[in-house]
Amino acid sequence: MVDTQFEVIVIGAGHAGCEAAYIAARIGAKTALVTLDTNSIGQMSCNPAIGGIAKGHLVREVDALGGIMGEVIDATGIQFRLLNRSRGPAVQSPRAQADRNLYRTEMRRRLATTEGLSILEGEVAEIKFIGDRVTGVELADGTVIEARTVVLTTGTFLNGLIHVGKKTFQAGRSGEPASIKLANCIRGIGFKTGRLKTGTPPRLDGRTIDYTKFAVQPGDQRPVPFSFKTDEINRPQIACFIGYTNEAVHDVIRTNLDKSPLYSGDIKGIGPRYCPSIEDKVVKFAEKSRHQIFLEPEGYNTYEIYPNGISTSMAEEVQHEFVRKIAGLENVKLLRPGYAVEYDFVDPRELFATLETKRIRGLFHAGQINGTSGYEEAAGQGIVAGINAARSALDRDAVLLDRAASYIGVMIDDLVTKGADEPYRMFTSRAEMRLSLRYDNADQRLTPLAREIGSIDDADYEAFEQRQRDIDTVKKFLSNTKVTDLGEEKLNEMNLDGSPDSYRGRKLDYLARRPDCSAEKLIEIVKAAIADKAGEKEIVVALNDIRYSGYLKDQETLARRRGRYDDLEIPGHVDFNRISGLSNEVVQKLGNVRPRTIGQAARIPGVTPAAVSILLVEMLRT
Amino acid sequence: MFSDDTIAAISTAPGRGGIGVVRLSGPASLETATSIFHAKSQAQLDQPSRAHLGRVIDPATSEIVDEVILTFFKSPHSYTGEDVVEISCHGSPIILARVLQLAIDRGARIAEPGEFTFRAFLNKRIDLAQAQAVRDVINAQTQYQARVATRQLEGELSIRLTPLKDTLVEVIVHLESSVEFVEEDISPQTASLLLTKLQLVIDALSAIADSFSFGRYLKEGFDLAIVGRPNVGKSSVFNRLIGTDRAIVTELPGTTRDALYESTSISGVPVRLIDTAGIRETTDLVESIGISRSRTAIADADISLLVLDASEPLTGDDIRLLNHVSQERRIIALNKTDLPARFDAASIPAVDGEVISISALTGDGFDLLTGKIFERLSGDAATERDDIMLTDARQHAAVRNAIEQLRDASERMRSGELEEIVLLKLRRALSALGEITGETLTEDILGQIFSTFCIGK
Repeated sequence: MVDTQFEVIVIGAGHAGCEAAYIAARIGAKTALVTLDTNSIGQMSCNPAIGGIAKGHLVREVDALGGIMGEVIDATGIQFRLLNRSRGPAVQSPRAQADRNLYRTEMRRRLATTEGLSILEGEVAEIKFIGDRVTGVELADGTVIEARTVVLTTGTFLNGLIHVGKKTFQAGRSGEPASIKLANCIRGIGFKTGRLKTGTPPRLDGRTIDYTKFAVQPGDQRPVPFSFKTDEINRPQIACFIGYTNEAVHDVIRTNLDKSPLYSGDIKGIGPRYCPSIEDKVVKFAEKSRHQIFLEPEGYNTYEIYPNGISTSMAEEVQHEFVRKIAGLENVKLLRPGYAVEYDFVDPRELFATLETKRIRGLFHAGQINGTSGYEEAAGQGIVAGINAARSALDRDAVLLDRAASYIGVMIDDLVTKGADEPYRMFTSRAEMRLSLRYDNADQRLTPLAREIGSIDDADYEAFEQRQRDIDTVKKFLSNTKVTDLGEEKLNEMNLDGSPDSYRGRKLDYLARRPDCSAEKLIEIVKAAIADKAGEKEIVVALNDIRYSGYLKDQETLARRRGRYDDLEIPGHVDFNRISGLSNEVVQKLGNVRPRTIGQAARIPGVTPAAVSILLVEMLRT
Repeated sequence: MFSDDTIAAISTAPGRGGIGVVRLSGPASLETATSIFHAKSQAQLDQPSRAHLGRVIDPATSEIVDEVILTFFKSPHSYTGEDVVEISCHGSPIILARVLQLAIDRGARIAEPGEFTFRAFLNKRIDLAQAQAVRDVINAQTQYQARVATRQLEGELSIRLTPLKDTLVEVIVHLESSVEFVEEDISPQTASLLLTKLQLVIDALSAIADSFSFGRYLKEGFDLAIVGRPNVGKSSVFNRLIGTDRAIVTELPGTTRDALYESTSISGVPVRLIDTAGIRETTDLVESIGISRSRTAIADADISLLVLDASEPLTGDDIRLLNHVSQERRIIALNKTDLPARFDAASIPAVDGEVISISALTGDGFDLLTGKIFERLSGDAATERDDIMLTDARQHAAVRNAIEQLRDASERMRSGELEEIVLLKLRRALSALGEITGETLTEDILGQIFSTFCIGK
């Protein structure tokens, strides 16, 4: 007999669901993860890669909070690169190609061995609730599973509709059934829903590719891991390949646009502008004679290749035709065609910043259902929903992440405040405090919180504290050592601008702030000097802290168009209609979003500063 | 609940009253005020609730802006509950704007509408019933802002700023793209091209900042030459305008042989008055040197006040002068109206503007005359000016702030500073311009990135 009594149920085992279920169990809630197919746990439906600029930041934050994605990719990555290595530390970010099968297996293995977490196979047909309080879920076979809180992570499955040319069929992913009953249940609750679209390219048989026509893109010599717990990654790395489309490819696409569901009007969902299909690229950037393609291997033991850059929903025979016009792919065999998928999402303004829905208490949404795209964005929401679902089930206080302290906080605040007009993806430019939200200091920002909520082990926390002590040691060394102590030889090597007078009498922390001072050189020097006291990672963090220290005030000025009352709470019962002096338009906007704080109200587009003042007076008098 | 920043505003109603008050509130209010205030006596300024007579002096130019009374109210015994300084000035909107600007230059921030009352409420200095009034104030301000905003939206400033803002956004788009989309096949513009664009924006913004005629007059003052043929009463007019008997006045024509200069203020605008030698055909050497200086003064002055004698028929000298000084740069005053008139304004040739009748002896008509001068130098109708005074101060601050940030950004870019740091400065400049033209959201920038570059790995 299957256990049907839980504290938390997580529906869906994609990147949001895995994270939510794992963290909920870790902090002590008896949790069930319900999935349509246990073989698809942690499935990468699109490209086999994790991270990238801003996305890598999200993974590091998930890891710092005690999440699972970082460790799994560290264990299953086949190529690691730190992006923007030559740029500033705040915009550097790790990225890795994954072995798709290994990733799934490893994720499933870890979840299966997580104490307090049960994995159940089945289709959730209905969310059960009494009044406005969730009570559990009902499976398609009639089984009712009870829980105090439910996390819904439906990905592209809600009313999923796949397009390949003129062919359409209901599916959540290629070959997997869509969730129709659940979609009807969600709409029945009264949530405001919309349609989004995403797409994926055809998969190629690597044995039929002429790689000599492509440029090789190797991984880093020394991989930078995602998880703070990973010391080193020593697995062999596999190269990716870079090639280009050409006018012949574009001609095929142009000729067949009438068969494209995107241009015939069949697809109504809104797709992401930053990830257009190849037919979109050809139409919207007609002047470009070529578009870049990355050939990404799907793993160590497979010949399947993911051609990043040519996602498409053209008819299958058109896909064959244009792909073979690409230099090096003349004889390529397509293993599976690309497709577009349309799916339901729920307006994220239906949510509090805890990711709990405003309509149904105890029901949380995370991932693509909130109008986002990306594994990392999903994981970031999954962990917040998981934490709050568990804490709510255990009668503990909600946990909110500040947008000044994490990308996850930025993302959730953006979503619940502004909604989603297209699939939301993280960019570093979305964060006002970009200089402070670095990949290398995610633990400083979030691990103390993880400790507080009990999502990390004592040993991991001790390691974190040791790192902070080491960072302080490095900083002391930098602020106590004169630049001239480096000796003339080393200083000559550094090739600094201007005369030695510019640094005479100054300390190394001054040098660390100079734009002409090479960070690599300085790391080397510090490493040579205090190798016994701190590791390279800690040296990097210390130097990065110092590098930006002069600009933090600027950053706050920019972020502070808001003000000191940002955190002042707006009670849930406030009736904006009854506050005199607010325009109808503002009342409507406030009513739609129902901001929880003054700061959030101020960030709603169209809510004027004067309206915020009125609101503030109203809140302070009550 | 205390604020960490200090706010300042003109806290008397817009328009010209007898007295106007610039109020500061916040921890640095006394420090800010005393940096521009010079007391007459040696009294300790930080003694609360005492009125101190003194002058507001522009520290940059050492110029006296106004004679004022400064009063310090110590927290919590003040209107807002914070440290408050009130500077009571003469009521001219221009003096008030200038004192406010000096405070802003020294770190105070222009208060948001209703912010003083709001702070008072937060610090429990006023009760709920009064808080209702705060809302009314804010409401009124909102409508006022809306009106000003509408005007600015269609206004010249916004029209001129928008393309500059667009160029700035373009620079931001290219820099953001280069850090955000390193894996993409895009070629953002080079640093040197972006620097050229930034320089264009800086230059254009500087021109806008300088072109505020209002601001220029406030800074540099304004030259008004009093001209006319001998013995029409120029020196009497001069004396009456400055309020003392500075120039020697006699019955004799040609008493003033050399130009006299005196600084005064007309409706609050600093004005340098120039009393010139009467201009006529003469053979007297000294007098002719004086006359030639008068002609130079006319050429240099922003405006000439051409004085005619109503009690005498127009002479050839009068006509020559009327032809000499162009319409746009003159105001015509018909003096000695206390005596029987020998001709009337309508008979003056080559005049299509207003002629102001005055009597330097009785002071009749001087209200009209100073009003006319003020109108000329403030450009538009003076009442219209008063209306947007505060906004003007904001605009000045915003444009200047933008220029400062852009210069900083350019300098850093030249020295090879990290893109995200340069971007921080550029975003601050954009946010400053946004105070006038409306905010540019990150979404707008991202949107422009996606339409400029084909992003899509």
